Formats: sequence, structure tokens, C-alpha cells
Amino acid sequence: MDAIIETKNLRAYYITKAYGVERTVKAVDDISLRIQEGEVYGIAGESGCGKSTLLRILLGAYQPPLAVVGGDVVYHLEGETIHAPDITEEQQRDLRWRTISYIPQGSMHVLNPVRRIRDSFHDFISAHRDVTKSESFQMTAEYLRDLGLPEKVMASYPHQLSGGMRQRVTIALATILWPKLIFADEPTTALDVVVQRGVIQMLKDVQQKEGSTLVLITHDIGVHANLADRIAILYAGKLVEEADTRTILTKPRHPYTKYLIESLPNLDSREERMSIPGRPPALDRPPSGCRFHERCPLARDICQTIDPEMIQVEPGHRTACHVVEEELSHEPVA
Amino acid sequence: MGGMQLLRTYILPRIAQWAVVIFVGVTLTFLIPRFSPINPIDDMISRMTAFQTIDPEAVVRMRANMEDLYGLGGTLLEQYLAFWKRLLQGDLGPSFQNFPTPVAEIIGAGIPWTVGLLTTATILSWLLGIFVGSLVGYNQHRRWAQALERVVIVIYPMPYLIIALVLLVVFAFYWPLFPMVGGAQGTPALTWDYISSIFRFGFLPALSIVIGGFAFRFIIAKALATTEISSDYVQYAELAAVPKRRIVTSYVIRNTMLPHVNDLALSLGAMFEGALITEVMFGYPGVGSKLFTAISVSDYNVIMGITLLSIVGIATGSLIVDLLYPVFDPRVRLR
Repeated sequence: MDAIIETKNLRAYYITKAYGVERTVKAVDDISLRIQEGEVYGIAGESGCGKSTLLRILLGAYQPPLAVVGGDVVYHLEGETIHAPDITEEQQRDLRWRTISYIPQGSMHVLNPVRRIRDSFHDFISAHRDVTKSESFQMTAEYLRDLGLPEKVMASYPHQLSGGMRQRVTIALATILWPKLIFADEPTTALDVVVQRGVIQMLKDVQQKEGSTLVLITHDIGVHANLADRIAILYAGKLVEEADTRTILTKPRHPYTKYLIESLPNLDSREERMSIPGRPPALDRPPSGCRFHERCPLARDICQTIDPEMIQVEPGHRTACHVVEEELSHEPVA
Repeated sequence: MGGMQLLRTYILPRIAQWAVVIFVGVTLTFLIPRFSPINPIDDMISRMTAFQTIDPEAVVRMRANMEDLYGLGGTLLEQYLAFWKRLLQGDLGPSFQNFPTPVAEIIGAGIPWTVGLLTTATILSWLLGIFVGSLVGYNQHRRWAQALERVVIVIYPMPYLIIALVLLVVFAFYWPLFPMVGGAQGTPALTWDYISSIFRFGFLPALSIVIGGFAFRFIIAKALATTEISSDYVQYAELAAVPKRRIVTSYVIRNTMLPHVNDLALSLGAMFEGALITEVMFGYPGVGSKLFTAISVSDYNVIMGITLLSIVGIATGSLIVDLLYPVFDPRVRLR
């Protein structure tokens, strides 16, 4: 399978200057990944690990103080290779919604409160297609019917819809033009579990209908388990592990991923869950060496000084950890 | 929410509120001059007797006549009831100064001028202020927007009097493009000459009001737009590359309409006080000029008539705002 989007040693920092004091927050630091066409790629990690920043960079929707300071983001769309940092505003406007779309975090307020749903759809559709109002209404009605949403939402105002319905309408609004690449930022957060299930199912339907690529960001490993083909684990602005979903859930190698998976509730054992000692580091002064070393029970001397490289554990499973690297070198080569 | 329910829970209570405001306003207008230490009748009699001696008996009879005429006879309650009775018949009493011309006639002569001038100027400055202010707020990082904002910020604090005076001096005196004083030229008729003269005479006063009103509304619209552009729905529409003019009109302006509608209705409601300073400065024959003259000669009935009109105007203005709210914000319909 071909990659649809990849990053190469991507660095994106928030650089602010106030009263002569410069502050650099290294929210995305040296991340290289390849997202395959048609897959659901999950990005997980705790709050403040750089997930949303990474997504904004991938989407090309960022302004100062956030800036790409190194590396590259490359889109492979319809045989064309586009370097995202050099993209023109016009090119970007052309790509948006038709090819690349975005389902935002906290969809509660993304719908214009004084506009009927169908008018919002018309605004978004007519921005990219030459359609009359009645044509876009018809498109919207058909699409909503396909996704199993009641047609009466079209004439409603956002405040008349429930939170779950609003989120579903937003997903429909984001995908009405069948984009090839969909970014979703915490699409299920702030919804109760029953509604979450419906939204997850809908995301699945949308993605499978046209074989779109879905990049899904959430801290909720349960949602990843349901949707993602592959999962990337981010810690303090770094990619620490990446593998297919089953491997991440059953055979994680990085100590941080292990903690993350072990902290999930399990019906079979009611014992108290382990939590990760310490707290995530501040990204304006990240620790030297491996950024997880202060909280890592397996940390060695080398971890305090040398930043571990991404290594391959087995095909399709990568991690960045000195301990794993050492273990691998002792394992017999199969 | 059905129409009947909207009528019962929203429209009727607001109409009742409107009636209460007018009732209280009229009552206060009736009471306040009566608590004043100056008795207008004493005032008039002393003015009349200042130059000639009058038979005391005649004075007593004259006083009785005048009390009757001005509604100042009898107990306070009797006066109050008579006041309402006359008011509901549209009788505001005679002018003191131009006796016996009825006050209604004096005010009536000023109303078309004031209404014409202020409606045009207010709506113009309102539209301009909202549109330009929102555009600048939306494009606040562009150089032209910042330049425009600086110009407005310089104009805004200028006292109105100075703006009016500069316009007069420049465009009526040194460079006499426009007349200095008056409302129109010639005999009122539907002729080009007369109608064009209305525009010529009204231009400078209208421009002076538009400048001040525009600056004020520009600043409000800009501030509202600035908060609006950081809202999730504007950011999302931008991300989706919805055209900028659609975002400015249907997203930014549309969502900030409530305060603007409020401002417009109240400005229009306050119209009947007349644009006092404007009309005096430009010698414009509207209600404001009448009020100015009435105040300088203590013509109580005229002052009271204009006050009453403006109470009704402002109350009606805010009633219209309330009735328009559901049209501009669908969320109000729920309440």
C-alpha cells in the first residue's frame, strides 16, 4: 500500500517571546511516520503530549506561534507529491474538504448557532463545488439519509440538537465531499458511552464507504481499539511506539505504552490499576536523553543522556527505547 | 414552539411591559414640573404685570382662566386625570410662548424634518459602521484595516460640536457648497427644486451625524467581530475554506446582530428628542430646535410634549427590539 501522508523528522515548536524572554515549546520533536492510504491511523497519548499539535501540522492549519522548524510533511494525493510546508494558500483552499477534511475536537460549537444546519452545509459545499442551494440541500439530504441521520435535522438550528446528534452532523459536514484523508481530533470526547458507540460506528461507515484514510486522535485507547488499524503512541512530543492495534494492545514494548495499556480497566481482574509514577514533563524544558527516563522503572544511565532512536522490533512494529534495543541485540536472530 | 405560545409567553408580556413603561413615564412627566418651585402661571402673570398695572380682580380671574387652560386647577388627582384625558385626545395644551398655538402643532411642524434627517443619518451610519467595523475586525492583521482603525480612533473622541463646526466652516463658509441655515428652499411642493433643496440643506447636518455615529458603531462592531473570529464556528468555516465574504456576512455580522439591532432601535426611538445640538448648529427646523427655544423661554408645555413623545419613542424602540430578537437569534425563540 502507498503512503498518503508522511512526515520526515518533523519538528514543530511554539515559539513565543514576551518581555524579551523567548520560550520554545517543543510540541512535536523529530517525528517520522507514514500513513497508508485507506487505513485508520490512531494517534494516542496523554494530554499535552503534542497530539493535537501534530494533527494541526498534518492538516496544515497552524499559525504563529506554532511553526514547523524542521523536517517535512508530504502528501501523496492523486499521484501528486505536495510538500505541505511550501503549500500556497490557494492550493490549500483547493485541497480542503474536497481531499483533506477535519472533524474537530469539541464539535459543540463548530456549527454556526444562527444558521440552519442545511445552510451550513450549503456554505461548506458551495465553497468547493459550483452548486445551487437546492442542489446542495439535495446532496445533504441524501448523505444524511445514507448515514442514518433523521432528515429533519436539516431545518434545525444547532441548539435544537443533542450533543451526540450535533457531533454526527459535524462528521457529516466534514465528510460531505468524500475527502480521501480525514483528520479527527477527539471526536468522541465529551459524549456519553452510548452516544460514543453511535459516533464510532458512523466514523467507521464514513471511512469504509469510500475507503478514505482516517487519522484519529484520542487519548481513549478504547476508541482506538474499536477503530484503528495501527496506533502511534506519543509521549512528550516524541513518537515512542508504533504498531498495528493488536500488537500495541497485547505486546507493547515501550515501558510507557505498557503503563498505558495496563492502566486500562479489565473485567477479569478487579485489582487496582497501576498508574504511571510522576507527571508528564513540561515541553519548554524537556528532560535530556529519553524524555520518559524520569518516570521509567527500567531507566539506565544511557537513558539520561542519549535520546533513543526509533528501531524496528519486528516488521511494522517500531519503538524508541534503549532497553528494548539492548534486549533485541541479545535475542537470537530468528 | 407554536405561534400562539410565542404570542402568549413572549409577545404579550413585552407589549404589557411597553404599556407600563409609558404609563410610568407619563406619570413622572406630569409630577416633576408640579414639584418644581417655579409656578409657570405666577411666572407669566409677573411677566405681564411687570410693565403695566392690572386690576387685581382681573389678575385673579386671569389666574383662574390660565389654571383652567393649562390644567393646573383642582386637586393633584383631578389634574392628573384631566392630563391623561387630554393626552389621549392628542391635546398637549397650548404653547406658553406662542399662545394660543397648540403644542401638538408646534411639535408636528418639526417632526418631518427631524424624522427625515435622523432616520437617514442613523441608518446610514449604522450600516456603514457595522459593515466596515466587522470587516476591519475580521481582517485585523491586514495593514489597510489597521490604518482605517487608526483613522476612526482619531475621529471617535472628537466632540460632536467640533465636527459640526468644521463641516460648517469648510463646506458652508470657505467653500460654500452647502447652505448654512435652514431645512429647504422655496415653497413646499413636489418639484425638483424643492426636493433637491431638502437634500442640499440636510447634507451637512446628516454628514455630521453620520461621522460621529459611524465612528461609534465602527468601534463596537470591530470589538464584537474580534471576539467572534476566535469562535469555533468561524475558525471551522475558515478551515473549510468557506469564502471570506460569506464568513463576514453570515457568520461574523450575523452573530453580532443582536447588540446592533438593539442600538438601532433605541437610536431611532430616541429620535423625537431631536438632534438638539445638530439642529441648533445647522439652524435646522426640527424638533430639536423647538426644544432648544422652548427651554430658553421656559415653555413648559412644549418641553413636556417633546418629553412625552420621546418616552413613547424609546419605549416603542425597545419593544421593537424585543419583538425582533427571535428573528435575529433563533435561540431566543426557545425561551
